[in-house]
Amino acid sequence: MIQFQFERASTVKASVNAMVNNGNARFIAGGTNLVDLMKRNVMTPTKLVDINAVPLKDIQQKNGVISIGALALNSQVADNKIIQEKYPLLSKALNAGASAQIRNMATVGGNIMQRTRCSYFYDTTLPCNKRQPGSGCGALDGLNRMHAIFGTSKDCIAVHPSDMCVALVALDATVVVAGPKGERRIPFEEFHRLPGSQPAKDNTLQNNEMIISVEIPDNEFNKNAHYFKVRDRASYAFALISVAAALNMDGKVIKEARLAMGGVAHKPWRLKEAEKSLVGKQATEEVFKQAAEIAMQGAKAYKYNAFKLKLGPNVIVEALKNAAGLV
Amino acid sequence: MDDTFFDKKDYKPLDRVDGRMKVTGAARYSAEYTLPNLAYGVLVGSTIAKGTIRSIDSKAAERAPGVIAVISHQNVIEVPGYQPDATQSTEPKVGGGPLRVFYDNKVYSNDQPIAIVVASSLEKAQYGASLVKVQYNKEEHITDFEANAGKAVVAAAAKKNPKSPTADYDRGQKDAFQTAPFKVEAEYVLPTEMHNPMELQAITAHWEADDKLTIYDKVQGTKTTQKTFAKEWAIPDQNVKVIATFVGGAFGNGLHSWPHESAAIIAAKQVKRPVKLVLTREQMFTMVGYRPRTWQKIQMGATKDGKLVAINHNSIGQTSVYEEFTESTLAQTRMMYASPSVSTRYRLLPLNVATPIWMRGPGEATGAFALESAMDEMAHAIGMDPIEFRILNYTESDPDKNMPWSTKFLRECYEEGKKRIGWENRKLKPGLLRDGEWLVGYGMGTGTFGANRGPATIHAELNKDGNLVMHCAITDIGPGTATAMVQIASNTTGIATEKIVFHLGSSEFPNAGLQGGSSTVNSVGPAVQAACNALKQQLITMAAGKNASAFGSAKPEDIMLDQGNMQITGNMSAKLALGDLLKQNNVEKIETTQESKASENGKQYSMNAFSMHFAMVHVHPLTGQVRVKKIVCCADAGTIVSPKTAESQMIGGATGGIGMALMEDAVMDHRFGRYVTKDFGDYHVPVHADVPDIDVYFVNKPDLLADPVGSKGLGEIAIIGVAPAIANAVFNATGKRVRELPITPDKLI
Amino acid sequence: MNKNKTTGKSEEEENHESRRDFLKTTSILTAIAVSPVAVSKAAEYNLGEKINHALETTPVNLTINGIKKQLAVEPRSTLLDVLREQLNLTGTKKGCDYGQCGACTVHVNGQRVLSCLSLAIMQDGKQVTTIEGLSKGDELHPMQQAFIKHDGFQCGYCTPGQIMSAVACINEGHAENKEDIKEFMSGNICRCGAYPNIVKAIQEVKNGGQKI
Repeated sequence: MIQFQFERASTVKASVNAMVNNGNARFIAGGTNLVDLMKRNVMTPTKLVDINAVPLKDIQQKNGVISIGALALNSQVADNKIIQEKYPLLSKALNAGASAQIRNMATVGGNIMQRTRCSYFYDTTLPCNKRQPGSGCGALDGLNRMHAIFGTSKDCIAVHPSDMCVALVALDATVVVAGPKGERRIPFEEFHRLPGSQPAKDNTLQNNEMIISVEIPDNEFNKNAHYFKVRDRASYAFALISVAAALNMDGKVIKEARLAMGGVAHKPWRLKEAEKSLVGKQATEEVFKQAAEIAMQGAKAYKYNAFKLKLGPNVIVEALKNAAGLV
Repeated sequence: MDDTFFDKKDYKPLDRVDGRMKVTGAARYSAEYTLPNLAYGVLVGSTIAKGTIRSIDSKAAERAPGVIAVISHQNVIEVPGYQPDATQSTEPKVGGGPLRVFYDNKVYSNDQPIAIVVASSLEKAQYGASLVKVQYNKEEHITDFEANAGKAVVAAAAKKNPKSPTADYDRGQKDAFQTAPFKVEAEYVLPTEMHNPMELQAITAHWEADDKLTIYDKVQGTKTTQKTFAKEWAIPDQNVKVIATFVGGAFGNGLHSWPHESAAIIAAKQVKRPVKLVLTREQMFTMVGYRPRTWQKIQMGATKDGKLVAINHNSIGQTSVYEEFTESTLAQTRMMYASPSVSTRYRLLPLNVATPIWMRGPGEATGAFALESAMDEMAHAIGMDPIEFRILNYTESDPDKNMPWSTKFLRECYEEGKKRIGWENRKLKPGLLRDGEWLVGYGMGTGTFGANRGPATIHAELNKDGNLVMHCAITDIGPGTATAMVQIASNTTGIATEKIVFHLGSSEFPNAGLQGGSSTVNSVGPAVQAACNALKQQLITMAAGKNASAFGSAKPEDIMLDQGNMQITGNMSAKLALGDLLKQNNVEKIETTQESKASENGKQYSMNAFSMHFAMVHVHPLTGQVRVKKIVCCADAGTIVSPKTAESQMIGGATGGIGMALMEDAVMDHRFGRYVTKDFGDYHVPVHADVPDIDVYFVNKPDLLADPVGSKGLGEIAIIGVAPAIANAVFNATGKRVRELPITPDKLI
Repeated sequence: MNKNKTTGKSEEEENHESRRDFLKTTSILTAIAVSPVAVSKAAEYNLGEKINHALETTPVNLTINGIKKQLAVEPRSTLLDVLREQLNLTGTKKGCDYGQCGACTVHVNGQRVLSCLSLAIMQDGKQVTTIEGLSKGDELHPMQQAFIKHDGFQCGYCTPGQIMSAVACINEGHAENKEDIKEFMSGNICRCGAYPNIVKAIQEVKNGGQKI
């Protein structure tokens, strides 16, 4: 690891100020992703700003939303009684990610900011446009079993690795960020971006901005929500494909639906057309299959991830069946 | 014959004797010794898979704070034991030798160690290593197994000796397969798998004098390591001290001496300070061996009533271009079943990769995946229960060696395992059983491994406090060697286990071989027995010499040892504590050194341990997820000396088998010759959630032809047969036959 | 702790003081202290390892196993490396160094965390408990006893991490049943495969109901 300057900030303002005029400075909170990347020289910030003392840990209900501080720990959110009762999808998604120890360290903000686990991104001797713009995408013609099927570009086919974010995008969350000019609010779906020709940029956050909270509007999805994750072992592995499914049911009829996928794109992948197709329908396997078919439109496979075209709709159906209580 | 080694009624399974040290963090592993003036080494690996190093620019690294030296072929001191190129084949169809680290500018595989940065702290050495810039003359590498399988060659050993186990083998009729009424012909692929013990490979090298070396090293044999480095530095064996008191798992990768060990020793010599070198997890994939990728093809023929008529089994395993590695992939096929006709062909494919090394169950586990899958395929083709099919082809003697078995209780394993797994619930036709959404399947696989007893020596002493202290150079990578030896000693002498200490893991102690090939209990155990019997004899002589006491007048054969006391059969009132006997004779301690030799019985008997693994799995039909719900392991391993640790060893083997079957896969990008799955995030090994209850049954009948303890070895048969048991269970659940491991969800949807 | 024979001070105290002295007297470098540039400059000017060390390190106060320690650490040093290499507390193990195996699990302020992904400098003022601090003198912690009883280990390398994780697993309320235990212990890899025995050990301690 390279040497770096280390500073502590205890207010949002001081944190943001510490970033000014230093494009190679980074915030650090849990450090579970950044320290790993620094050890492998994938990221080499010359300055770290420790923001753990900034008071952003609270989870509070207010005016039709629940606001989760950016520094709330993943385990704290997953175990929070209000979250478990009113937003079980989020709790389930959190517990499907990483390990108990990592969830005790990782923050909500850090989870949102985590970087792809693409092997080519991680090995500094291999080409990767995200790590080193212009070096090429190693995965495009390489070993891309874990890679994206939606929204790819010729420059990057990496996936966003988070489980939590799949639930948050499904639940219409908003990311609240602070910068030198004050706060702004970014709908979760617009926070992460597709790689296009600039895969180095994971999201729309500016370098001198910091996430201060995530807000989720009140909803009626708490009775029928499920997070279904398929991975190469039973726990502690990144998703091949995961699906967050939440339904608002009136008897057997679906009033509202929320669907999002993980492990398929450079961002948590919201499936709005599929959601629409479910509204007003009876919750049956047949209906879910139709929704899954709609969801998969536009998917494109590479040499080693063609199985995701088949696995994807199956996981959507399974997630919906579980959410609807059909299993 | 007694049923068990431990026939005493009051016998209780013993807790691990080193348990307390392990649960308190007091156990010290190779990277945990504090030495004055210790420096830290970090290796720089090549970033090409073949070519030569044009230049190494180490200026920036050398300038970095705390960096003491950057050592590469450009500035390395002479290593006297490195053999020149003439004997080191650089394009070895065959033969070759270990990589000579920093010897020259040649690169044979990606991430080959090409320099070591030594610094005053770990962080500084790591940073220094990142600053070393290397220029190469790149050459076209060959790493793609499938694309180059045609280049496979006969092993050197087979060329030299037609009786070598790797030589071509034929018995019976050549066309037996072609004319068989039922045929199975299939290809099986086992990917490269990594030992990945939890402890990173580590060495602390310390030159205590110019010709005197001490290494704290993660190895499976202290004596072999001592010899290797004594030779490498042209110094007498006794000038090299190898300490491996605790070894944090190894599974075979400590059976070879590796470049990083040489690098640390060179560095310590060159900077004149002790050097500690711990590999990174990525380097564990490229520098310390692995289970080689292996392609196999089986042709199996049988009659409609389930009699095997032919098995043809070919295999190709990969090795490096500089060193030949062979394993017994095909041994099981030649001796397991009563097939009149058997042919085997073993070939090696040299690639621009590092040298493989035996990984738990080594070749037998690889071969068993193909053989036991094919047996299942044949049973299915005939429409027969796979256990019945195996029993129909059961062998009462070794058809390969034409010798009787020393012992074989595999039939007992079939019967007991069937009951425990609930085999009666299995359906002959696949895909019929369900539990909710999940498909349910049952499968089984057989394993076998040679009972290989080697020589070992024990020094034992009994002191006047009644404590028995033994020493042996053997290592312990986790099975519980000291625990087993304490139990053997206690059983032999009647001294309570808490009064017995077994010291191991140092080349300073009396000779023992490697801890590998399931050979520890059956090699070291007899030496412990011999040493204890010798001490016993000394005690009896000493007691008999005391004319005044009851012991003086007793016949020597009536004198016995029990609970740390000497007693006379038929005269319970005469009782003398062993320590008191020594005190009365004014003796501080009595001692002995006893050697136990390799077994000669192998010339007349085929000596093997056997295992039978049963698996019950759930498969999710839509998502392809496999969950192993239960495993039953049955072992005919001879005497079970230490039931508690032996059971754990079987559970561990089954867990390794779950990894093999369902998730382990070192994947290489052949454009670069570099692994893309090279840490625990990408290379999956089983976690808690993957492992069900594992039920272990031991036949526990001694094999006294194998060795006086009666043990046949356990470590290997614990894993051999597990992967095919799971693969066969997946077939039974789904009707899908996966012939290329691992069975990941994508292969089942 | 190593004490300097002539001054009677520990190395850490000396380092700390030499840093202070150095900073007092060299005002130019004070301004850019703890920046990488200053450090490499110091090396180039051959200012000596001690001064380098003073420049590179920052004081950190930690309570480790109940004992207060003032350490001088580089910002890039992980808690794991500080425990193992500076404090000789080698019970905490390095199995992967990337947060993928759990061997380095310790408790920080009572929570189980991975010391390999924790920068030591960020633990300033915190309470750290390692495996060495779990037992009360010679009396083993119930979890340590249960691991021995159920043979919850073989090579022993993942064991300290498993035990630290297991204690936390119960305290978090994630050991209600076998499936829960397996899921919430999945961050601790055991390559020897002692999992079923570890689960038994945890269940026994959980059912024993002792305060742990």
